[in-house]
Amino acid sequence: MNQSELNNKLAQIKDKLIAFEQPAANRIYLLCESENAFVVNRFLFEQVPARFVIATGIDSDNCFEIIYHYSYDQTGCVINLKAFIRDRDNPSIESITPFLPAAEWIEREIHDVLGIDFRNHPNLKRLILADDWPEGVYPLRKEVKK
Amino acid sequence: MDWKIWSLKKSPWVFHVNVGACNNCDIEIVNCLTPKFDVERFGIKLVGSPRHADALLVTGVGTRQAVKRLQEVYRQTARPCVVFVIGACACGTGIFHEGYHVEGPVDKIIKEVDPNAIIAYVPGCPPKPEAIISGVVKALAVL
Amino acid sequence: MADSLQGIFWIVVFPGFLFTVLLGLVASWIVRKVSALVQWRVGPPFYQPCVDVIKLMGKEILIPQQAHKIVFMAAPLVGLSGVLLLATMLWRTAINPTEFFVGDIIVALYLMILPSLALIFGSSASASPHASLGTSREMKLVMSYELPLVLALIVVIIKSGGQLGLAAIAEQTPALTVSGMLAFLVSLLCVQAKLGFIPFDMAEAETELAGGILMEYSGALLAIWKLMQTIMLIAMPLFLVMVFLGGFGAGLLAGIGKLVLVLVLLILIKNTNPRVRIDQAMKFFWVYCGIALAVAVALAIIGNNYGIAWL
Repeated sequence: MNQSELNNKLAQIKDKLIAFEQPAANRIYLLCESENAFVVNRFLFEQVPARFVIATGIDSDNCFEIIYHYSYDQTGCVINLKAFIRDRDNPSIESITPFLPAAEWIEREIHDVLGIDFRNHPNLKRLILADDWPEGVYPLRKEVKK
Repeated sequence: MDWKIWSLKKSPWVFHVNVGACNNCDIEIVNCLTPKFDVERFGIKLVGSPRHADALLVTGVGTRQAVKRLQEVYRQTARPCVVFVIGACACGTGIFHEGYHVEGPVDKIIKEVDPNAIIAYVPGCPPKPEAIISGVVKALAVL
Repeated sequence: MADSLQGIFWIVVFPGFLFTVLLGLVASWIVRKVSALVQWRVGPPFYQPCVDVIKLMGKEILIPQQAHKIVFMAAPLVGLSGVLLLATMLWRTAINPTEFFVGDIIVALYLMILPSLALIFGSSASASPHASLGTSREMKLVMSYELPLVLALIVVIIKSGGQLGLAAIAEQTPALTVSGMLAFLVSLLCVQAKLGFIPFDMAEAETELAGGILMEYSGALLAIWKLMQTIMLIAMPLFLVMVFLGGFGAGLLAGIGKLVLVLVLLILIKNTNPRVRIDQAMKFFWVYCGIALAVAVALAIIGNNYGIAWL
């Protein structure tokens, strides 16, 4: 598919998104709420289909964000899906590992350092924090100082 | 005894420990063994076990997970031994000073186990192989 | 009384411990220097192996808490004594072939297995997972190369007309015949495995096993292992020279030349090959070397029965 066909394909899930931004020809930002993130991820991975690259966790002003980065190799387009998690006290989002096993470790890492709970994750154990690191302290959150 | 230190200077066997480095310093250490720098002419050999080693080459900022492991490796190195702390991160935590996982520079970790440890510092990011060789030679001359 | 004093002199000074160790340190330096030159490096100075051993004697001995202390400390001594006796026996026969000295080729074969057994025992007593991996690899390696070595020696015994004494065997030069050359090449590789040189150094794999069989040894015990390996570096090529290349019969200089030739062959094989896996080594020794030696034994028997000298 070339770029315009890709844009048309992505329009199919427009109803799940808050916004569709295209700052450059090969950069697409899809913004959505955390409840819809699972469906959009599944669409991107299975229907488009795009290659999952990595996920990023951010502690924003009043919410958490998880950005899933996908690459559509035929046109070199990078599709970023931003999922907003509004609940700052118990952040939680549906895990995409059941259909995308490659996301298992990055979700474990985001859980370790930001404390976001991934529902239905098959193996949500500690990954990168030290063995004797205290539970419940999430080092990359804004309120945690060294 | 004098002959022990003399023979240690002539044939220091090194063991390389990485306690949280980005691998730049590790690459520079292994570069020292290549034909261009060839530290085997000083008798320096890379050994596989800390029990065979006379010098520990420690790279990397001391991460929290690695503290116990580094102390155990140091205890397993047969005395008399020297610790070479290679790179800016290992000498004084470098740019990772504020990191949540940093448990202090390497000399602080080693001095917890042995306050009288002989430690030599080779700063740089990463130190060139010439700098590492010069540091090792100077430290051995002072022993 | 004088006899036992003379025996002690032979074993300790010449041509036993001191003489062979000095020669072995020189051979060790030759190995490192030639390896360095092949890799376009400068390599260590002349006294380097000697200083290595002296330095190891000055380090403290660390014994793991769960190790079996008696076996741990006795294993290097057993290995050293076995290989020392072998070296003394071979040198005595080489220098003075007419004088009867205890031992024939069966004794030599028996003594040659002592260092490998000692390594296996020592590393099993180390109580360490890396060392146990090294132990299993060393055991499999020993099982692999002992059979071709014995078959190669059968070729030699056939060539010498059934005589087992080392002096009688050293008079023949089996390497000049077809079956003898095959046997010599195979036993060269078996010696490479016994010495623990690349391509067969998977037991003491530095990069994989963190030291493998010798991982838990330090200080004076490690120095004894290094001395054992140094003496083996002289004893094994000497054994090959005496059994395949005609010994020191053609004169001292020729004998030393043959020794250096075997050593250089070992070094060249060491520097031009990567390390092989243990299953590749087993397949190599049992299948390829076994078939080659079966052919060699058949040729030797045919040559012996029909009087064809070059077969």
